[in-house]
Amino acid sequence: MEKVFFDKAFGVLNKYSAIIALAIVVLYGALFVPNFLREANMTAILYQYSIIGFLALGQLLVILTGGIDLSQGSFVALTSVVAATIMVHAGAIPAALGALILCGGLGLVSGIIVAKTKIPAFVATLGMLGIGRGLAKFIANAKPIPIQNDLFKSLGRAELFGIPVCFLLWILVCILLFWFLKKRRLGRYIYAVGSSEESARLAGINIARTKMFVYMMASLFTAFGGLIWAARLGSASPIGGMNYEMESIAAVVVGGGSLNGGVGSVLGTAAGVLLFGVINSILNLSGISPFWQGAIKGIIILLAVAISQLQRRRNSKYK
Amino acid sequence: MTEKEPILKLEKICKGFSGVPVLQDVSIDVYPGEVHCLMGENGAGKSTLIKIISGSYTADSGSILYLNTVYKKYSPRWAHENGINTIYQEIDLVPHLTVAQNISLRNEPMTRTKNIDDKKIKERALNIFKDMGVSIDVNAELQSLKVANQQLVAIAKALSLNSRVLILDEPTSVFTNTEVELLFGLIRKLKAQGIAIIYISHHLEEIFEIGDRITVLKDGCLVRTGLVSEFDKASLVKSMVGRDVRIEKKERLTSTGEEVLSLKNLTREGVIKGVSLKVHRGEILGIGGLVGAGRTELIRLIIGADPVDKGEICYKGSAVKINSPKKALKMGIGLVPEDRKGEGIVAARSVLENMSYSRIEKTARGSIVKWQSLKKRGLDLFAELNVQPKNPYKSIQYLSGGNQQKAVLGKLLNADCELLLLDEPTRGVDVGAREEIYKVITKLKEKGTAILMVSSDLIELLSQSDRIAVMANGSIVKEFDRDEATEEKILEAALNLGGE
Amino acid sequence: MKNVLTQSKDTLQLVTVLIILCIFAAFLSKGVFIQPVNLTNILVQNSILMIVALGQFLIILSKGIDLNAGNIVGFTSVAIVLTQGYGTGLSVGVTLIAALVIGAITGCLVHFVKLPAFVVTLAMSQIVYSITKVIGGGAAVYTGTDGTPISPVILEIYSVRMLEIPLPVLMSAIAVAVVALYLKTTTGHFVYAVGGNERTAAISGLPIARVKISVYLLSAALGCMAGLMFVARVGLGDPQAGDNLTLDSIAAVTVGGASLSGGVGKISGAVIGVLILGVLNNILNLLNVPPTIQPAIKGAIILLAVYLNSVKG
Repeated sequence: MEKVFFDKAFGVLNKYSAIIALAIVVLYGALFVPNFLREANMTAILYQYSIIGFLALGQLLVILTGGIDLSQGSFVALTSVVAATIMVHAGAIPAALGALILCGGLGLVSGIIVAKTKIPAFVATLGMLGIGRGLAKFIANAKPIPIQNDLFKSLGRAELFGIPVCFLLWILVCILLFWFLKKRRLGRYIYAVGSSEESARLAGINIARTKMFVYMMASLFTAFGGLIWAARLGSASPIGGMNYEMESIAAVVVGGGSLNGGVGSVLGTAAGVLLFGVINSILNLSGISPFWQGAIKGIIILLAVAISQLQRRRNSKYK
Repeated sequence: MTEKEPILKLEKICKGFSGVPVLQDVSIDVYPGEVHCLMGENGAGKSTLIKIISGSYTADSGSILYLNTVYKKYSPRWAHENGINTIYQEIDLVPHLTVAQNISLRNEPMTRTKNIDDKKIKERALNIFKDMGVSIDVNAELQSLKVANQQLVAIAKALSLNSRVLILDEPTSVFTNTEVELLFGLIRKLKAQGIAIIYISHHLEEIFEIGDRITVLKDGCLVRTGLVSEFDKASLVKSMVGRDVRIEKKERLTSTGEEVLSLKNLTREGVIKGVSLKVHRGEILGIGGLVGAGRTELIRLIIGADPVDKGEICYKGSAVKINSPKKALKMGIGLVPEDRKGEGIVAARSVLENMSYSRIEKTARGSIVKWQSLKKRGLDLFAELNVQPKNPYKSIQYLSGGNQQKAVLGKLLNADCELLLLDEPTRGVDVGAREEIYKVITKLKEKGTAILMVSSDLIELLSQSDRIAVMANGSIVKEFDRDEATEEKILEAALNLGGE
Repeated sequence: MKNVLTQSKDTLQLVTVLIILCIFAAFLSKGVFIQPVNLTNILVQNSILMIVALGQFLIILSKGIDLNAGNIVGFTSVAIVLTQGYGTGLSVGVTLIAALVIGAITGCLVHFVKLPAFVVTLAMSQIVYSITKVIGGGAAVYTGTDGTPISPVILEIYSVRMLEIPLPVLMSAIAVAVVALYLKTTTGHFVYAVGGNERTAAISGLPIARVKISVYLLSAALGCMAGLMFVARVGLGDPQAGDNLTLDSIAAVTVGGASLSGGVGKISGAVIGVLILGVLNNILNLLNVPPTIQPAIKGAIILLAVYLNSVKG
């Protein structure tokens, strides 16, 4: 009897835990932290975390298949640099498209490596991290590139009824992704591949194509996040996006995602993203050094993964 | 019940692995609407045969006719899509998807906009379960179900694919009596629909209740195919064993020594129930039984890999608690595991190194490894065991199964164990290596080592053991002295005939 | 005496690659490359990487990976500078203990909680980086917390020679010797088995916990040594000291033949791997390849090396 309760508690705890935690933290902020509810603060969170939000959605797709994407941070920088360079000659739209195509292409390469060779995902994307960083530095000559194009910058500045447009875009993409995972076959097969690759294979699902798809999509999402980042900053920097993949992984895992694959949700991930946004904001407003953010993220990842590992061992008792 | 034309016709199927023949000239017909039971002891070739039928393996020679067409190259996906489905014990469904989603996986009904129609998916699942007479929550996550129900979902999925041939591999091993009856009701319905069922089980009562015909395999060959009514329990058992080979029994020592191991009422929840046995110096106690009887689980308790819930282990006269294989080895208990690749060897390292692991700490000076003494000892063993090819520095993964097993044995010899646990010591080992391994075991016996040997090979049990204990359902059902045991008696005990 | 139980021919291949690269470099530089001054320079420049790569080698051998390697160097460099007020010996000692604590926590999380090494070291890299920024104020540090300047003993490391050999090179040689000695102990030898097949190692009675945790401890200690040398070389402590070291050390170890699935690899391979990378860097500079593209090249090298290793196995 107790065991069942424990199982349910851990199970529910992980799927909705991010939402509950978010509610708790928002409440704490509203009650105890001065300036928390101020509009300026709220919008700042939304701007910054729509960037991470896109990355986290991409990371979710990859983690669902049992993989991981460590290259996201460098692709943010790469996107900004490529876009900034093209923009000078061709304008905002071609710049954005160029950056998206490049990163999507590199993501596809990662996917091919993971799908077709025995190289583990973390190595493949780690290698890609170096490649992305190197390309970014090379293209920008190791210097930041200022961006003058106002149309482009509006991506990071425009607001609708006081809410940042990029955040609204993110919400839209969340809804689309939610629909995709629930209603499209490829969406379901992503879960199947992560849950049991062997069973998925026996059922006739094309494992390679599924994996290549998610890595490509992850890089596309990352690129979009990179565009917002550059637009907001008003410049492109080859050293931008440092450790952003940590945040996206943390958001997915805290939102109930399992690094073993097959488990994770858009809702949980989105809540995870906002959770980190709010926590960061509270830390800043409370005068706690922003340097602690990394440690908190790291500890949260460890806790979340440990809990999900415990859950997994419980579940496999049935076998 | 049976029509004139068989739906599946296998002719002279042969299959071997690494030169070892597993199936030889097996010919079987399966008719629509019949329950065709496949019987034979462990290693007779049943699983290989059904893997060939379901497309996982390709036969080396022979032909298969399915629906009157000859097929040369199968694949599991082709088999699925064309009506041949196998329900294995290891469920090949997706653990994190729901029951309904699993049933329709890769076969999802879609809306006009090419979206998944979840409503129809649930309906399909509900309908199939209604037909089956089963009530399972279609929205439950698959892995939350108990294994018996997971198997029912696997069956439901097979049915949704319009199976013509359904293969059930030991379906009832985790079923309660009610669930077995449920399954039989379902099978009868399927028969009426003309579906052919190949049924593998060692529960003889089930065979006689639900079966139409029986095919018996022995050592990869077809022994007999006939109507269920043509067999009775005794004749069935006799056809599964009973070889012409005259079993050469090992020399028994004039007297075995004192008790080395004594298990008293050893229990592990759900796995081992109240096992008591004794092994003496210079004695080989063989453990027989079918797969799933709990033999490996018993070994794991003795070696300290799993915790004991109740009961006692007495080693060399005193009660001990063995919490880890490390402690067991220190005490002088060694294990040659069943899963050679997974637990017996470190594939990337050399033969010599693999054989030395057990001795490294014993011979170390302080913490430094004494290479020369290890090397000398290792090379001696290497030569003594006649490991081929004669390069001790070769990575062990390139050796044949038999030679790898010799190396594993060498690792334990290196540890000077007083109690040796052997789990299927000659599985996947060629005849030559087998003989050599037997010689080593004899030498150990003469030296006074107590040996506990789990084996599914009845000949091996009879020729090597001094005493034989047979396990079924987690407990010991019968003990024999070597002179009174026969293949039939062992198998009968393993099948748990003659009352429970 | 080396491990006479397993022999392999990989070292020969690696040395050949190294020699070919050296010849190419000599050709490109019209002979400047092989001058003793230049060769010694390469060894000196790569001594920090050598030390970090040794730790990475051990962890990869145990079927793990260390994504925290660089950040430990950053942390220890800052910690050593900040504690200069206590005297050189004590500052290094205290920092070493801190590094060992990090290593112990990592090892325990990997072994007892059974979390994958890459997740643990990834998370730890964030935590360690954070702590480094907190104690040092986020930027490079030049003096101890009480204003004590960095001890001249440390600062001289890169200008001292013993027996004609620069001290940094000697120090990296000592690190190699220490790791080689470790591999000759029972615990060190078992790393191969635990990394190769942990289940077999467990059933064979090997002390798994001791092996896995010692690997992370030793690696952390090596990271501390590298941190000290960083301070000596640059004259400050910097949270970003190890920025490239993680990737570089993984590249060196994989090029050196170690397999990411554990149990395969030789210490000589790791050493030669570092040298190959060092010479490769040199060649890229000679070819006027902009330094900015180098991380990209290293990333590609890792992928290639891992791929070739997996095909070979």
